[in-house]
Amino acid sequence: MHLNGNIEVRGLSRTFHTTVRRPGFAGALRSLVNPQKVAKHAVCDVSFSVAAGELLALLGPNGAGKSTTIKMLTGILTPTAGEARVAGVVPYEERERNARNIGTVFGQRTQLWWDLPVRESFAILRDIYEVPKAEHAARLKEFDELLDLSSFWDTRVRHLSLGQRVRSDLAAALLHDPPVVFLDEPTIGMDVVVKEQVREFLRHQVEERGRTVLLTTHDMTEVERLAERVVLINHGRLVLDGTLDEIRRKFGSTWQVRVTLADPHTEVGSLPGIALLRHEGPQAVFGPDGPDAPTVHQALKQVIERYEVTDLALDEADLEDVMRAAYVHAESIAEGA
Amino acid sequence: MSQKTMKSLRIVWRITLLNIRASMEYRTEFLLMIAIGAIWQVSVIVFATVLLARFTGMGGWDSSDVLLIPAIRMLAHGLFVLLLGRMHFIGRQIQEGKIDVYLLRPMPVHRQVQLAFFPTNAIGDLLVAAGLMVGALSRSDLDWTTGRVSYLVAAIIGGMLLEAALFTVVASACLRFPAADYWSRWLEELLGTFGSYPLNVLPRAVGGFLTYALPLAFVAYLPTAVLTGHDQDIGVPYWLAAASPLLGIAGYLAARLVWRWSLKHYTGVNG
Repeated sequence: MHLNGNIEVRGLSRTFHTTVRRPGFAGALRSLVNPQKVAKHAVCDVSFSVAAGELLALLGPNGAGKSTTIKMLTGILTPTAGEARVAGVVPYEERERNARNIGTVFGQRTQLWWDLPVRESFAILRDIYEVPKAEHAARLKEFDELLDLSSFWDTRVRHLSLGQRVRSDLAAALLHDPPVVFLDEPTIGMDVVVKEQVREFLRHQVEERGRTVLLTTHDMTEVERLAERVVLINHGRLVLDGTLDEIRRKFGSTWQVRVTLADPHTEVGSLPGIALLRHEGPQAVFGPDGPDAPTVHQALKQVIERYEVTDLALDEADLEDVMRAAYVHAESIAEGA
Repeated sequence: MSQKTMKSLRIVWRITLLNIRASMEYRTEFLLMIAIGAIWQVSVIVFATVLLARFTGMGGWDSSDVLLIPAIRMLAHGLFVLLLGRMHFIGRQIQEGKIDVYLLRPMPVHRQVQLAFFPTNAIGDLLVAAGLMVGALSRSDLDWTTGRVSYLVAAIIGGMLLEAALFTVVASACLRFPAADYWSRWLEELLGTFGSYPLNVLPRAVGGFLTYALPLAFVAYLPTAVLTGHDQDIGVPYWLAAASPLLGIAGYLAARLVWRWSLKHYTGVNG
């Protein structure tokens, strides 16, 4: 395997020019005679890097520019500005050389031959990537153990279930042992069992094989299980680059501590960094107050020390809530700009 | 031949064999596709039958000479469908996102387009074309010297490349504007309709259009004129008509440059 599997992205931009559709028949005629072109900045001045052997989740709402970014890094699209290097290669300048260094899975489309059995697709890819036969056989054996491919690899691709198809695509993407792997929503539409199998496989590829993985997904469980670092883009711009812990600290302080007081007549008020949100009879609800709010566990300790409680419950924001907060924050920045 | 070329040919051959095997597994579909390839050419067969049964000639040409035009065109077309014809289906491949997948592999995209599937209908096309060529040669009074046979082979290859060039240019346009795919249907219709006639029977403006704007005349009409010695009233200087096979090669190479440029500016589907 190549050692230099890092990804470097500097000021990457991609602009598409589209014609504005005017409403109504008259509008359509006007567009025909006098088309009004607008520039759509799908990706705008995005910079980040991924170290060799790191798994990075590239997140963002639909239409944020994730797929366009991946397409530029895989050599499908040429950027309008900026530069990208994948394993030391500029992908859109040396497409075929880059193709040998990367493996790619698009969850919604296959790279296998539709009318051929999976194993024959693998054999064609072996020839295309010039993988020695013994190496190919050994790798196929390893992938079979992890993804249970042999139960369906003599079936034509067109007859596979979605889960079988994506598992085959994953194997196909890695059979030539690429140092860098791009995964665009690989588990979309899969059942939980297959999803878990795929996640295990990916974890194995990063931890045991040292591959660099760039993953896009809307599945926050996947992000939580696989990624240590997250890059968030919205409206084509990078709005956040950090570890999951950093993001939780920044956007995840949406916890609530609900307590039942031993004495319903206790006078209840806010504590340092902790706001009293509601108080009805013996029930009181506390939440974070300001940017210096304590963590949910620190808050719980403070509340218990201050008041005598008979029951308590914690509501901590999960990663989905955290990301939602991050998206809203990004939206408000975009509107303000 | 270099080792790299040999390796590429081996991969092409292997994928082609697998594609043939895959298409043969659906037996009825396989036979239907061969039949449709032959039936599609029914207008040419009718033309040839009427020509031989009712007319002694056309546009100053004997029937036996005229018959060489559809024979060359059909054979060139059959070879085009067999070897380079997947360009005709580029619109579908773009819409299905296959071009994106091709761009991810260390193999030229054009080659992958051609290897997308085996064109079973080409067998039907070639069967009709071979029958027509045998018929045309058996009725021909020409002296089929080595030179003339060589030129005939060159004309067929040139015709195939010229047809491929036209469809490659349309496919290149499709990479930027998928709606351009409709032009390939129009082009196929035009080649089928006018490709079998001596173009001097058409109004001069139409003949000029089919020679200089859309070089259909160089596919079969002009090479046949050279083979049969018709050097008058063919719409172009004789040397240019004789150069038809070379124009096929030049046209195809130019079309591949257009393809390469368009691929560089490919913007993909679905964002």
